[in-house]
Amino acid sequence: MEKTSENNNKNNFLKEGMQNDVSKHHKDYLGTTIPEGYFVKSKLSILEKIKEEEGTEVPKKKKIFWMHANFKYAVAASLVFILSLTIWLQSSNTSNETQVQVELLSFNDDVLINSLFVEDDELEAYAKTTLINEVVIKAELSEQKMDDLILDSMILDDSLSDGKFIETLIL
Amino acid sequence: MSKDAELVKKLKDPTLKDKAFSELLDVYQERLYWHIRKLVTTHENADDVLQNTFVRVYKSIHKFEEKSTLHTWMYRIAYNESMRLLEKNNKKSFDDIDEISSSHLEVLFEDEYFDGNEIQRKLQQIIDGLKEKQKRVFQMKYFDDLSFRQISEILSISESTLKSTYYTVVKIIEEKIVI
Repeated sequence: MEKTSENNNKNNFLKEGMQNDVSKHHKDYLGTTIPEGYFVKSKLSILEKIKEEEGTEVPKKKKIFWMHANFKYAVAASLVFILSLTIWLQSSNTSNETQVQVELLSFNDDVLINSLFVEDDELEAYAKTTLINEVVIKAELSEQKMDDLILDSMILDDSLSDGKFIETLIL
Repeated sequence: MSKDAELVKKLKDPTLKDKAFSELLDVYQERLYWHIRKLVTTHENADDVLQNTFVRVYKSIHKFEEKSTLHTWMYRIAYNESMRLLEKNNKKSFDDIDEISSSHLEVLFEDEYFDGNEIQRKLQQIIDGLKEKQKRVFQMKYFDDLSFRQISEILSISESTLKSTYYTVVKIIEEKIVI
């Protein structure tokens, strides 16, 4: 008799449904409870929280088309492309010639600038030395060469004739 | 048009949204609370998650495409929010939920808002000993009163599998419970 009753209880344990009272159902089966009047208070605090969050929420800015991310990326990419193209074109046109020109220009600039710092006396002394070394010595050398040439031609002429003239000239 | 569909329509209308939201709370607050409570164990946690769930519902109602029922959609949000809280509290992912549930009973029995008798404690222990999938299916069907179709949408499991799982669990519980 006891066994039959136990079996009936077993079979009926989960038979009762929710019966539309969720909290009672949980209390009856799981032993879980809630504070009194919880759902009324909870509803108010949820509504309060939503109000708070709405108040603190920053309104979304209206985006103008040129402020859109896609547009910005496109503009940035175009700028980078134009810049790199310019640099590439410049570097491809620069030849050795222009490099030399640049060097010469800088050399001339240096000479001109340095000349401003040279004293007049020093410049005169430099000019004199250059004149002696370059012009006078060169002139003397070329004169001597002329003499040698004349003398050689005279010796040649003399040897072709009788040889007396040259001997007289040397003596 | 169903009652839920009508409610959704009002919720999506800015002029009616606040009133409709109050109505939504009246209908679903209690049911969602108990769904959450079983997942996060204590009343304190359930209260936090319930608030976050409804705030999220309020903010994202315009994104609700009505592919599922309103109840199922909200239930899923509540489920995700619960998992988020558990992860935050335990610093563990959803994959480790078995470990989370091992301490579930200790936390539950110590909770201020648990006054279960011997049978209720026993049922809690039996449920806690079930496989994760069995546990969820049983709770959703028996305590949250969801249809197999709704559970199928939430857990992405076929209705036939759900039915067989549910009836297996019922059998296990009735075998183990001795009144």
